[in-house]
Amino acid sequence: MIEFLFLISRQGKTRLTKWYGNYTSKERSRAVRDVTNLVLGRPPKMCAFIEWKDKKIVYKRYASLFFVACVNSDDNELITLEKIHLFVEILDRYFGNVCELDIIFNFHRAYHILDELMIGGYLQDTSKKEVLKSCSTMDDMMDDEKEIGAGGNGSRRNSSKK
Amino acid sequence: MQYPVVDPNRPTLTSPAPLYRPLYLSITSTARGLQNFISDLRNAKSKEDESKRVSKELANIRSKFTASGSLSSYQKKKYVWKLVYAFMLGYDVDFGHAEVVSLVGSAKYSEKQVGYVAMSLLLKAGDSMMNMIVNSIRNDLVGSYDDAATSLALTSIANVSGIELMQALHVEVQRVLVSPNATPAVRKKAALCLLRLIRQLPDSIASADFAPHISNLLQDRHMGVLTSTMSLLIGLTSKHEQEYETMIPYAIHILSTLVLKKSVSPDYLYYRTPSPWLQIKLLRFLQYYPELMASGQAYVATLKQCLARILNDTDVSDSINKSNADHAVLFEAISTIVVFGDSGDEDLQLAAMRLLGKFISVREPNIRYLGLMTMSRLAVLHNNTNKEQIKTFQSVVVHSLKDADISVRRRALDLLFVMCDQTNAESIVDELITYLVAADAGIREQMVLKIAVLAEKFATSKKWYVDTILKLISISGDQVSDSIWHRVIVIVTNNSDDDLQQYVATTMFDVCSSKNAHVKAVAVGSYVLGEFGFLIAEEAGKSGEVQFQVLHQHWPLIDANTQGIMLTAFAKMYNLYEEIRPIIDPIFAKLKTSVDVELQQRSNEYRILGSLGPEIMEDILREMPAFDTQKVSTLEIALDQEHSDTHDVNVFKKKDPNSPASKRGSKTAQQEPEPEILVQAEPEPEPDLLDGFDDPPPAPIGGFDDPPLSKQAVTVGDPAAVASSFAKLLSTPQGVLFQNEYVQVGVKQEFRGSQGRIQLFAGNMGAESFTNFKLDMPQVPYLRTTVQDEMGATGAGCTLAPKQQARVMIMAEAIAPYCEAPGLTVTFETSTTTHSYPLKLPIVPTSFTEPVTVDKAAFMGRWGQLAAKESQEIITVSRTVDPAMMQQVAALLTGLKYGRCQEVDSPTTCSGCGTMKTGAKDGQGNPISVGCLVRIEANGDKFRVTARTLHPVVSQGVKETFCKVLKAL
Repeated sequence: MIEFLFLISRQGKTRLTKWYGNYTSKERSRAVRDVTNLVLGRPPKMCAFIEWKDKKIVYKRYASLFFVACVNSDDNELITLEKIHLFVEILDRYFGNVCELDIIFNFHRAYHILDELMIGGYLQDTSKKEVLKSCSTMDDMMDDEKEIGAGGNGSRRNSSKK
Repeated sequence: MQYPVVDPNRPTLTSPAPLYRPLYLSITSTARGLQNFISDLRNAKSKEDESKRVSKELANIRSKFTASGSLSSYQKKKYVWKLVYAFMLGYDVDFGHAEVVSLVGSAKYSEKQVGYVAMSLLLKAGDSMMNMIVNSIRNDLVGSYDDAATSLALTSIANVSGIELMQALHVEVQRVLVSPNATPAVRKKAALCLLRLIRQLPDSIASADFAPHISNLLQDRHMGVLTSTMSLLIGLTSKHEQEYETMIPYAIHILSTLVLKKSVSPDYLYYRTPSPWLQIKLLRFLQYYPELMASGQAYVATLKQCLARILNDTDVSDSINKSNADHAVLFEAISTIVVFGDSGDEDLQLAAMRLLGKFISVREPNIRYLGLMTMSRLAVLHNNTNKEQIKTFQSVVVHSLKDADISVRRRALDLLFVMCDQTNAESIVDELITYLVAADAGIREQMVLKIAVLAEKFATSKKWYVDTILKLISISGDQVSDSIWHRVIVIVTNNSDDDLQQYVATTMFDVCSSKNAHVKAVAVGSYVLGEFGFLIAEEAGKSGEVQFQVLHQHWPLIDANTQGIMLTAFAKMYNLYEEIRPIIDPIFAKLKTSVDVELQQRSNEYRILGSLGPEIMEDILREMPAFDTQKVSTLEIALDQEHSDTHDVNVFKKKDPNSPASKRGSKTAQQEPEPEILVQAEPEPEPDLLDGFDDPPPAPIGGFDDPPLSKQAVTVGDPAAVASSFAKLLSTPQGVLFQNEYVQVGVKQEFRGSQGRIQLFAGNMGAESFTNFKLDMPQVPYLRTTVQDEMGATGAGCTLAPKQQARVMIMAEAIAPYCEAPGLTVTFETSTTTHSYPLKLPIVPTSFTEPVTVDKAAFMGRWGQLAAKESQEIITVSRTVDPAMMQQVAALLTGLKYGRCQEVDSPTTCSGCGTMKTGAKDGQGNPISVGCLVRIEANGDKFRVTARTLHPVVSQGVKETFCKVLKAL
């Protein structure tokens, strides 16, 4: 099970946090701080796993962003790495060549996408197509209402961009 | 083929965004407010700048939310998103929950969706808002018009992890999961939702009844449903393996489809590998049945084929993602083979071992790390041929100990530790000690502990053991914990038969002769020479006087603790060698006035010993008797404390009954009766305070079985139970204040400084409605209170239907010193009886206290000053006070928010210091605080509680509070 998931910029800024395990606000801010330091402090070419408390941190860097997941110490580490990658690929398809700014300014969409990929710390589906389909259904529903209602939070599915 | 995104140098993932990407183009004007906010924060020059901008925004939103005018749908969503963003950055967001709740309850999908996502981010277990939201979620879950709302509801239940949600909704979730009409999209979410539920309430599903549903789900053709169901199944199996044994054939069938036939819809191929996630889950499930291969069932052959295929066909690929996915499956397969052990297939075992041997020397760090880790598991599980094979890799593992990567080094250390036995202990320990010299701080402590354990466990001779520990002290003395050198003393003391004691005395004499000896070595030396120095005193140049000099030269450089040990050694020497008494006497005399109380006391006692006559002195300073040897070395306990249990029931830990982990489990449970007062955040199932209607309340009040004709008055609860619940709540943040068959009153409280927030939950536990339900709280002059009460229970009274709860929130501020807890009277009428229960609210002086840590001198000083304002009481408890109980008392002190002042305590006392905050102002307008000191002394089955504070009334209040909680121990 994934306990929490962070997106951290190379400068140490938090771009996204998602908590699945039970953590108090104090534990949360400490975890963000500790894990950020651990991950940013690691030289390149090291393995992607760090033992942290009784858990394990699995991380991977994509350009300027670190994707960091915390799992139980007996979880499968390599497949966690690929869970992260699956998430990145889906973001990439959705936004069309995703970059850090997409995630900063559309953090709410990133959360929607994440929710369609995993809930409660577990993958609910592993097909990119399936996940993207649910995302676009959701976006359509938001759009429909926008036309009827008083201005919705407009969707940004810009397929022509790709 | 490689997906473009993996290239870390790809320009699009670097900021700033390339110009050709019109980033803002697609952002509709309506969301501009949010985008501007994010932009501003990005452009903030400093952390202060950012926090100023956030504060401004939060203030703005707060005023928008509290203003009377209604907000448009768009505004509401925008503001909630801003709150989420600020929250994500780590800012405290303590309002807006009501708006989130209203969004969740909205009929519009776009609002609902924002509400749900915000809720699962902003709220967490235990938030009071949780109860308000349950009904909206339930509506979406069962009465919903479409899948979209059901999906949102399920997602949020699984993500929020609130025990409240689980308790309220688990029945509905189960129903959704097994409903024949549920779509795959809903079903996969429901399965994970239920998994979350059984993690928190493990027995909420009747396994025997549920297994058929799982087998149905395993025949679902939707891969998403299968993946989720497997996660659920693993969660269920980890608690009740037997009930799900019948799922094995299904799992093996699915596995063979994926591994052997590779038949799966193209959408579920991940870099040409059929859903590696599902494969791993299937293997993980099978690991719960270690005897599987020996079962003789038809599916064994299929499983063997699958495992063999995974082992043989996995290779490094040019795509790192394919490689990772395939190796993830491979490692899971190896783990499975490891679990099957000797009951499994021998060829597979050999193949697995061969692969691991290869992996621990490859360059790819991830694979090397996993290779080392998996090999340790193998070594722990079987002490036979595998272990012999593992031992052949010793040099490779030692090499990894010098790896640049701390993660790899840790694994190598771990593996060396578990592969160690009598035959290779000396060489491994030597390697470890050689490496310890160069090891960095991150791993030193762990290494020292492990070396000490190995040296003791596999010592071929006791002398080698002692030498090893001395080496540890000289290389890395700071990391040698007291328990390590104490252990040396125990072993030396208990081995009086051979020449060990003499050998150690000689060694310690030599070590301490050096001016640079480490303070820990001096400690060991002092003890050993004091006890066994006489064994070498006849040797040339090692007379008692020389021994004394060798120790005494370190005196100025060692800490007070070690000085104490040395002082005792001097006393023993004083007894043995008459000629050095004139040298030692002045030392005792000088320390008579030492600032350190312990040294002062020892020197005085030892000084007087001489005058009591030679016999008494000899008797007292006799050699120490042999120590009780514990079955489990304290070191192993210490080592084990480094690994606390993981979330899932770990297959490997479970399978190894000899691991220190499993041995310790029962032992420490006896040693330290869990101080309940310390339990906080984790929701306990027992005080079922927010929704406790499922269990029938115990212990009905006698005499009311027959309905009386006229209304009778009931005013008593069980006084002892009431007192005990009250006492328990004095040191815990939540719990049940009162409970009988009619009514349950729960309290949740939170205090900060002079202010507190107390929530009352009063629920009708009976079968009929209450009329005139009232919670009366008489005003008291020392508390300023404001009350939020939607139902009017604190005013004119209300009606409370069965299973309904009245909630009241009280904000209280202490405005004067006081001692009496305020009252709360619960009254209501049923058709036959009038009930009235006079209770006390657990708002006492210690509630508003903050801990203060002071040193001994400050404590004693204040204690003396406040002598006139003392309040004291002696109470008798149910049993004789022992050290374990004193630990509970110490925990109580912390629970009641006092800072412990351990320096002034003996084993039978416990003292602490705190300051009670009030909102009252002194002449200069500063808030008044009352400094409080408390001391609890145990004697037999009695406690003497003494409170001394600046204010006599508070002294009394503090004393009473402590007496109450001590009685309830």
